[in-house]
Amino acid sequence: MSEAISIKGLIKSYDDNIVLKELDLSIPKGSIFGLIGPNGAGKSTLIGVLTGLLSFDDGYITIDEMRFIDENEEAIKKEIASVLQPPLLFEQFTSIEFIEYVCEIYEIEKKGLIEKAYSLMDFFEIKDFAKTKIHKLSSGSRKKLAFVTAVLTEPIVLLLDEPFEAVDVISIERMKTVLRKLKDKGVTMIITSHILEVVENLCDDIAILHQGRIIAYLDSISRKSLKEHSTLQEIFSEYVKVEGKDDIVDWL
Amino acid sequence: MFGRLLALNWKIFVSNLNRFQLLLLIGYIMFLGIMTVNLVGTAIVVILLDTDPWMKTQIPWLTPEIYTFLLLVFANSYWVMHFSFTNLRLLNIAENRKLLGFGFPLKRLSRYLMIIGFCHPVNIIYNFTWLVFLMIQVSHFYQVLIGVAAIIFNYVLIYSIKHRFIKIVERKFIAVVVGFLFLIFGLFQAVSLFAENSQEIFVQIVPRVETLNSFLSWSPGGLLIQTVNVEYGWTTAVIIFGFLTLLIGLILIDHFRKTCEGLINPTIRKVEQQTSKLWAFLRRVMGINAGKYYYYVMIHPYNKLQLLTLAVVPVVYVPILLQVKYSAAQTILIPTILAGIPVALLAMGMANMYGYENRELLMHLQFPIKLEKQLKERFLGVIIFPLLVFYIITIFELLLIPQIVGVYKIFVANTFFFLCFMVLFIWSSYYQYQKATYSSMSYKHPIIPQKVTFVITFVIFSMGYLIFVPLENLEWYRITIMSVVIVVIGVYLWRHMSFLVNLFKKQILKRLWTE
Repeated sequence: MSEAISIKGLIKSYDDNIVLKELDLSIPKGSIFGLIGPNGAGKSTLIGVLTGLLSFDDGYITIDEMRFIDENEEAIKKEIASVLQPPLLFEQFTSIEFIEYVCEIYEIEKKGLIEKAYSLMDFFEIKDFAKTKIHKLSSGSRKKLAFVTAVLTEPIVLLLDEPFEAVDVISIERMKTVLRKLKDKGVTMIITSHILEVVENLCDDIAILHQGRIIAYLDSISRKSLKEHSTLQEIFSEYVKVEGKDDIVDWL
Repeated sequence: MFGRLLALNWKIFVSNLNRFQLLLLIGYIMFLGIMTVNLVGTAIVVILLDTDPWMKTQIPWLTPEIYTFLLLVFANSYWVMHFSFTNLRLLNIAENRKLLGFGFPLKRLSRYLMIIGFCHPVNIIYNFTWLVFLMIQVSHFYQVLIGVAAIIFNYVLIYSIKHRFIKIVERKFIAVVVGFLFLIFGLFQAVSLFAENSQEIFVQIVPRVETLNSFLSWSPGGLLIQTVNVEYGWTTAVIIFGFLTLLIGLILIDHFRKTCEGLINPTIRKVEQQTSKLWAFLRRVMGINAGKYYYYVMIHPYNKLQLLTLAVVPVVYVPILLQVKYSAAQTILIPTILAGIPVALLAMGMANMYGYENRELLMHLQFPIKLEKQLKERFLGVIIFPLLVFYIITIFELLLIPQIVGVYKIFVANTFFFLCFMVLFIWSSYYQYQKATYSSMSYKHPIIPQKVTFVITFVIFSMGYLIFVPLENLEWYRITIMSVVIVVIGVYLWRHMSFLVNLFKKQILKRLWTE
């Protein structure tokens, strides 16, 4: 299977703090890739770099066989959509105005767009807020709106930073349904999340990012053999375990 | 417990201020002191107007009717000010309600917050001035009791009305401010007219004063005066006192319950259906980038207010200044005021160019459109409207008030003014970036940082006095310098548009990501 995203020797730092340390990662086309790790591991920074929001110090990124450099910026960005944490929305627009605006920039065909938007909003129970200003929406509705908008831009690569955060259980199930449908259409997805059960069920390959490095890569084959012995939770704890902390709270 | 809560609220207040604002706080304290002295002083002067012998020689037209009229106008104007400035946002309820999570009892917190709210210096100043104003007029002891009860009743009533109808007050805020601006500027015009035609005006006004007095005496300020200058005897006084005490108690209980409710039900989200014609219009006319940006600028409550002020000030002041016989007022002040209008419009859009959208700009970065293009479109969008106003004003000056200065000179001077401020605002956008909030009209969180506002005001007037003062034989010298500077700034801005992008990436982007 060819690669949708290829990262080689990626280094990203904030002033003196190196957040991503010579990161190498390959994500096959049409797969759902799970990126898990403790807080501060560099997951959001990696998503930020891939969306083009953050510059990087060194390394190579290739998306859909296009090198991530200035000349290809517009072409690459046209293929990417993302849902960040917290989601980026235009607060003074209504939900439908926001969707129309973003889709216009992505040059999505106008014919049938509104119908699609309303049907997806209906699916996620936010249709009633179509003409409500975004700053008045709850955090769950905001997340769902960001997700709906990202889907409507018809991306080839979808980057989701904690997409299930603040979202109710039913909507999480519906998000999973949409993601599986997108996968069937050949869309490549990266998902970061702390809800390991969802990641385990949904993703093909999973990587554990810790202190700016990939410390474990579990593809679908290796996971099958591991699954018989342990859950993702147990594997994660095994890799990320910090020794000698348990006795700190002995006084409790 | 109360002391700690007071300290907490003080810390919340101070921690929201930057160093410059802390310095301003010293100025604010001084302002409050001056305000107290001025208000109390004015109250005393108004009351003693008819008894002082020197005053009688200076203002012989002061009949008892006119004196009562002045007293009533003062009391009612003061009441309107009191109503407007009674501040409901003194306490950060969102922060205080966190205490509930740490076991602070709801009722006690609510009670303490009511007391702390009353302790704000502005509330104390207004109520103290009422006390001085009314107590000077007292002639019987029972009037003291009624006067004090009336002041307390007045305060709790204002507080309760504003608290209960906060949304209506906010929505009508612009209308209230317009009313005030017209009242204040109208008064200026009335005084200027009065100064020249006092005899004629008095002949017309005096017969109507008594009718006005009978009306004003039943308005809020008039009723407060009546509590201390009407002789109603002890029996009536006791009844009024009892009734006022009962009302005060009821309002306080109601307010206490409302505070409790506010603390445990902080926000009630209402689903409002909204569509914006302004957005649709701007999108069509200016495009999706500049249009979106200008939409954000236009819908901000501060800017609506600023636009209104910009419209009112010249409409009132320019005609007054045109009547003034001192020629410098025309040649310097009128052009300065008029040149300040497009500059103020430019400041609205450009002095904190990234503050309106904040983190939303991160989403714009993800769009498949070059950042440079997006920023340039915003930049051009921002200058279109002020530029249009700039040309209208220049043409207006040339056609309607040619006496102020020559054709070429006014054009050069205005262009120079405009471009210099554009450079200042670009600097401000990058180095003084701050998030522009939409939630309230609070003056603690202006769109443009206070230090930039101070610089703008200072520079407008100092530049105005330099640019528009006629230099007779040296005029050509100044015009040449201004023309050269215009060309230099123009060429620099045109050739260095890329610095918009570079500065954005260096200065703003990192802050947006971590915000």
